[in-house]
Amino acid sequence: MSSRKDIDLNELILCPKCNALHKKVQLESDGAAVCRDCDTILYRYRKRALEHSLALSLAGMMLLIVANLFPLVKIDLMGMERHVSIVSMISSLINDGFYIVGIVVSFLVLIFPFMIIVVYTILVTLLMTGAKYNLSRELLVLLSKILPWSMLEIYLVSILVALVKLMGLVEIHFGFSFWALMIFVILDIYLSKSIHIGELWELRERSYRGDR
Amino acid sequence: MEIDENSLVRCRVCEAVNWDSDIYCHRCESKVYIDNRGSINRAWAFLVTALIFYIPANVYPILVGEQFGNSSSNTIAGGIYLLWEEGEYPIAVVILVASVLVPILKFIMLIYLLINANLNRRAKINPHKVHYLTEIIGPWSMVDVFVVAILTGLVQMTAISIIAGPGATAFVLMVLFTMFAALSIDTRILKGVE
Repeated sequence: MSSRKDIDLNELILCPKCNALHKKVQLESDGAAVCRDCDTILYRYRKRALEHSLALSLAGMMLLIVANLFPLVKIDLMGMERHVSIVSMISSLINDGFYIVGIVVSFLVLIFPFMIIVVYTILVTLLMTGAKYNLSRELLVLLSKILPWSMLEIYLVSILVALVKLMGLVEIHFGFSFWALMIFVILDIYLSKSIHIGELWELRERSYRGDR
Repeated sequence: MEIDENSLVRCRVCEAVNWDSDIYCHRCESKVYIDNRGSINRAWAFLVTALIFYIPANVYPILVGEQFGNSSSNTIAGGIYLLWEEGEYPIAVVILVASVLVPILKFIMLIYLLINANLNRRAKINPHKVHYLTEIIGPWSMVDVFVVAILTGLVQMTAISIIAGPGATAFVLMVLFTMFAALSIDTRILKGVE
């Protein structure tokens, strides 16, 4: 076994799923490095990754704002109309006395998603300009801690499940915000699930070294 | 490669590879050295708390509906049964998987990982894969809670109204504590060293 000093840890990667050890290789064109044991994607070749991430996170921020401005769904029962948005849903939980459910849900579908998209946008801007080395580290640490707690994609599925339960009872109309939320979820899956947090750290290292 | 996988750990914050003996991650400066015994005990504590909340979550109604003065309440199992009776098979299956199978599966997998960690032996099924799976499927058990929250916000009319039941609070806490338990387990514990 070679001495530990000869090994550059930055060249190694452990599979996030099965923990198999790999040596990183330079990817040439549109490809992905996959784990030799379980075929999980380790990282991808990304051309202009930072520019794309910035564009998508700005778009995501606007979509998330729109998704919270208008009703998600409207129902109509014998002339009586009701509509719901994320905020009105949380406030009616609180009003009914379900404080714990209300607070937990507000973090999972409102506060954390907003935090993630804002942190992401600031972070990518910092990496592009190469400024604030320490701040970008702190933002990345924060990002990795809140990522598992954003559940908007699950919330989107839940809306559909809830509507199926109401089908037949009432008339259902999708609001403008529903479509905004749907597109946001697709962007979010790309930004926070497809791009691994380790890849962002590598982009950070490369950007402060000056070779992008 | 002549490096032993067991002498390396992945940083749980930034995914960088570090030596087992390192204290701080060389990339993000988070702590990679974690007291094994302490985090195993913490994971057990979270898991037992989650198991305790699992009982009221299933016994108490998760949804209370009022229709023209008649109130009816549904537990998780009751709601699934009702959907099945009404012929909403796909939705019944979604709720069954998200609210019943996912939590039970997650309990079994976490108990399996923690027992192996306690006995200091390497699990027969790759423990890293089991842990990865618990983190992927865990959040999906929130589906039923979100459904209740949406219905509560939406259906508030004089003829029909729906509010959450006490089971919903217990269920949210159960999901929260199983997630805390899964997050307390790190790769060092999974390897079963020391």
